[in-house]
Amino acid sequence: MFNKRNIKSLSDSELIQLSKTNQKYFGELYERYFDCIFRFVFRRLGGNETITGDLSQQTFMKAMVNISKYEDRGMPFSSWLYRIAQNEVNLFFRENKKDFTIEIEERQFICILEEAEIGSYMSIDDQEKLMEMINNLGQEQLDLIELRFFQELSFKEIAEIYSITEANAKMKVYRILEKMNLNWKEKK
Amino acid sequence: MRKFSVNKEKKNTIPTDEQIRRHKNFSRLSHDYELLTKRPKKPIYKDPKKFFYVIIAGIILYFLFSKR
Repeated sequence: MFNKRNIKSLSDSELIQLSKTNQKYFGELYERYFDCIFRFVFRRLGGNETITGDLSQQTFMKAMVNISKYEDRGMPFSSWLYRIAQNEVNLFFRENKKDFTIEIEERQFICILEEAEIGSYMSIDDQEKLMEMINNLGQEQLDLIELRFFQELSFKEIAEIYSITEANAKMKVYRILEKMNLNWKEKK
Repeated sequence: MRKFSVNKEKKNTIPTDEQIRRHKNFSRLSHDYELLTKRPKKPIYKDPKKFFYVIIAGIILYFLFSKR
């Protein structure tokens, strides 16, 4: 029906429609989005290549199996994939009994400090205490902090993953930062 | 459980193109999909429910034709 060159010129929504009846069209969606999903999972796992490979494949497998249920609500197709990947990574963390340490960059940590109005400099001891406070956040709160500051996604991208408005995503993140600020002051 | 820690040394958390290429394999995904969705059908004698229905149908047909 379509040759390779034609498939490349099709839009995401056309490919999704075709994938619902013929899985070969899903291959083009895989080509388009594998790299960004791999990068997303890789950063969430702190650079573990093997597990990232498995979880990325698992993400696309779930997308392929459920493509018939996909509804176009005006959001980019990638946000649906990011949501599946997010769930896959969370499931992996839940199933792994032992702690999985993810290293973040110092500048990302400083960014949280500044946004939460805690300051821009901290002793190593205080850094560890604040990191512990972040690690003790609830699952959803930690996810939001991670997406915003460690994955460095925009509020628009976060909103698309959670299917909420951009303003709502912003509000949620700033509420967590406010709460962190209050807890930090109480501790001090 | 995941725990975050601050990394003092600059460790790269962005995968290289080579790392991505190593794991990008649509043929493998397609094959796994086939295995998952198109599982071989179970023979009737291995499905107790279907086997039971076949036996019942057989008995009914036997009685119907034996009366004639």
